[in-house]
Amino acid sequence: MLPLLSTLLSATLAAAPPPEPVNPAPTRTSLAAIADQPDLSGVWTPGPLDKYAPGNSTEPKWRAEIAPIYARLKQLDADGKPQNIWVNCLPEGLPSSWTQTLNSVEFLQTPGRITILGELDGNRLRRVWTDGRPHPADPDPTFSGHSIGHWEGQTLVIDTVGFLPQVFISTGQGVGIPNNGDMHVVERITLTGPDTARVDLVVDAPHVLAQPWHATRLLNRHRERKFDLVESSCRQGDFIESTDKDGLAIFAPLPKDEGGATLPPDQAGPLVASNPAAPKEKK
Amino acid sequence: MLKKILSAGALAATLALSAPSLAHHSFAMFDQTKVINLRGTISSYRWVNPHVSLFVEVQDGPVKHGVWAVELTSPGNLTRLGWSRQSLKVGDKVDIEVNPLRDGALGGGFRKATILSTGQVLQARLVEIEKPGG
Repeated sequence: MLPLLSTLLSATLAAAPPPEPVNPAPTRTSLAAIADQPDLSGVWTPGPLDKYAPGNSTEPKWRAEIAPIYARLKQLDADGKPQNIWVNCLPEGLPSSWTQTLNSVEFLQTPGRITILGELDGNRLRRVWTDGRPHPADPDPTFSGHSIGHWEGQTLVIDTVGFLPQVFISTGQGVGIPNNGDMHVVERITLTGPDTARVDLVVDAPHVLAQPWHATRLLNRHRERKFDLVESSCRQGDFIESTDKDGLAIFAPLPKDEGGATLPPDQAGPLVASNPAAPKEKK
Repeated sequence: MLKKILSAGALAATLALSAPSLAHHSFAMFDQTKVINLRGTISSYRWVNPHVSLFVEVQDGPVKHGVWAVELTSPGNLTRLGWSRQSLKVGDKVDIEVNPLRDGALGGGFRKATILSTGQVLQARLVEIEKPGG
């Protein structure tokens, strides 16, 4: 009886799957180790946006079949008819959340992980795992992808895969090409002074780029409390404060023109009615 | 004024349901090569994300007269530039410098405002203001 039980037990143990990975609770040692990392705390504002204006020499090198599409988007933008690419308030993802944003960002350093938070930009929230884990073999595609990071001196190196193919590689808010799948982004975030940093990006998107695109954004750190990040809902501006029939405070849709600009009330009717989908009886 | 805002909301509720949602758009619709001045009265100042906006009623000057819609950056960015949701008030007489909409409609991208009663100048051109170490 006993030998049989022993045999059954050992067979069960042999077939058991490997233990489920866990995120260990922080310890004094792991928390204290944060103090030895380069300090990314505080609020970082990006440098001037005009660095990567269309036509700049740092433009991506597109595959031959993509280049004319990009050229057409650039021309439309130059003509004041930008093909707005983030109007749906979905997250920008990489590389645009660095190269195109005007908005501030902060880093939270905790054991095994660095969290990147932003204002607007699809309520940017990125988790960068620094606990040594690899990328999943087949990550679910997301806007921000799957990020793993490690320190090389004063530089945080982040490797990201698993992007949705719809995530844009952009050189303007109206000029961008979807990465079309298999994009791989390496970021090197380097402290270059007490309150300055540089983000160097290498973007590899083999279905649309002829070669990896190198881009850079500069960051300035601010400790003043007026720089603290604040709540920023991307779509709040599409609505106006109103009151429903029960006297309750609500948001009602706000008219915009076809370019996205708010319309004064005396100009809202005719333009909206020009939309073929608008009710015909309205003027 | 409140009534005017509410009527705008009501109008929107009836007319704009099929309008596209264009919350976070490009500023390329504003002509950065042109600067015009709007002298008028603030009739709406909305401290909302993603873009703060204001209406100014213009009845003088060489520009088209009527209600102009002026768009700024986000409340977070404006706070960092020293602004607040109290910086402008409905009824304020102002000079507002904008890059006008390219299509000729009454709208523009904000550059700066001068409150005529106090002479206070409010700026919000991020590209000009944000400097290394600044």
